[in-house]
Amino acid sequence: MRTKLITGAALGTLAAFAVATPAYADNHESARLSVLHGVPDTPVDVYVDGALTIDDFQPGDLAGPLELPAGSYEVAITAPDAADASSPVIGPVTIELAAAGNYTAVAHLGEGAQPTATLFTNDVSPTAAGEGRLTVRHTAAAPAVDILAGGQAVVSGLTNPNEASLNLPASTVSAAVALAGTTQPVIGPADVSIEDGVHTLVYAWGSAEAGNLQLAVQTIDGLHSNPGGVNTGEAGLVAPVDDSVVPAAAAALLALLGSVAAAVVLHRRAAATTER
Amino acid sequence: MRSVARSGMPVAVLAAGVLLLSGCGAGGPAPEPSPAPSDGPVAVRTPPPDVPIASGDLVPPVEEDQPAALRIAELGIDMPVDPVGVQTDGWMEIPEDPAVGGWYRFGPAPGDDRGTAVIVAHVDSLVYGLGPFARLPELAPGAEVAVTSASGAEHRYRVSSVEQLPKLDLGATDVWSRDGDPALVLITCGGEFDREARSYEDNVVVTAERVP
Repeated sequence: MRTKLITGAALGTLAAFAVATPAYADNHESARLSVLHGVPDTPVDVYVDGALTIDDFQPGDLAGPLELPAGSYEVAITAPDAADASSPVIGPVTIELAAAGNYTAVAHLGEGAQPTATLFTNDVSPTAAGEGRLTVRHTAAAPAVDILAGGQAVVSGLTNPNEASLNLPASTVSAAVALAGTTQPVIGPADVSIEDGVHTLVYAWGSAEAGNLQLAVQTIDGLHSNPGGVNTGEAGLVAPVDDSVVPAAAAALLALLGSVAAAVVLHRRAAATTER
Repeated sequence: MRSVARSGMPVAVLAAGVLLLSGCGAGGPAPEPSPAPSDGPVAVRTPPPDVPIASGDLVPPVEEDQPAALRIAELGIDMPVDPVGVQTDGWMEIPEDPAVGGWYRFGPAPGDDRGTAVIVAHVDSLVYGLGPFARLPELAPGAEVAVTSASGAEHRYRVSSVEQLPKLDLGATDVWSRDGDPALVLITCGGEFDREARSYEDNVVVTAERVP
């Protein structure tokens, strides 16, 4: 495809462009890929397009983000002592990354405990001033769950490998995971900090049967919006006096201040008189 | 000449597009040292070998050391500071009493190593009258501003500029910057007063740089 597009006539232009452009000037066009290891007990190696990319990757760890040109990639997950990507334990899976996209690939257990991998797309759209975003992803060998915040279900019936997302005012949320329709936590409750402009992604991983259900957390920051402005005055007391009309409110205030001052003076005089 | 330029344009755009898509900047100087190999189209797909890895464990929320008081010796100002956020209309929340400063708690805090901490106060109020920030325009570059945090730590800043600008232009400045050199910005209102809207037209913005 690329060779077809570059004709002989264009080569000169191409060379000039290549010299003038820093290698990473296209960062905003890159895709960002994070990788979460959510299979209990087994360290792995991760290969991207046949190249060893993450070595001896431990369960519960989060790698990246990798900055990758948009395109399709083959991801294979092998035992940590594998010589190459030829006998993966998960995959190989082909993932498509769009320019400027933000993704997390998760190696995890399916609902029936079989190892699998899922590519999630992370919402990096701006959050409103004072808000953050919370996404919960079910990547555990467990049936449908409810997500509880402060004891109440805010997400119901979430199944592996799906997600639910909500924007929340910046705050600390006491979050727990319960089997769908119940309120007895199987994970948590745990305090999750929702910060302004930060997308907090919480993964439930592990296995209900093996009793090692747990949470992993990823954050993506820099999504904040600024306040609309700063409105800091209502009386007009410091406005330039460019006409003869004194604002009524200011006049009233001045009168009030005047009487207070007079009272203070009188009080002081009285005090002074008494001292004498 | 003109027709040559025209016919050349699409080719250049096309080539640029191809470069962006392929991420190929072979031979060009990288702005920052990077482990990613960048010579030749074969290496383009090879991800950087040094992939950062962190634990995905949930970390308990950390209590930030919040600012508690603001002092400007030159103006005889010593006022308490409260953390504030945003109003329902998306504008910044302001402490009702002009004698109390409001720190934008979603941005950097005074003492942070990066970004701009913002402290605002009403210039005046129908209930309380004039506030200490009415004197901000008297400040000149070089004046010292100090913020004391709840922990007792003192953070010193030196005024670098005092500006007055239309309120709606504030968003185009870097007062909300969460990155860059540490700075403190004090904001209040000034300029013409719109009596119907009961609102000033301008913001007075004092920018101060961190004193090491």
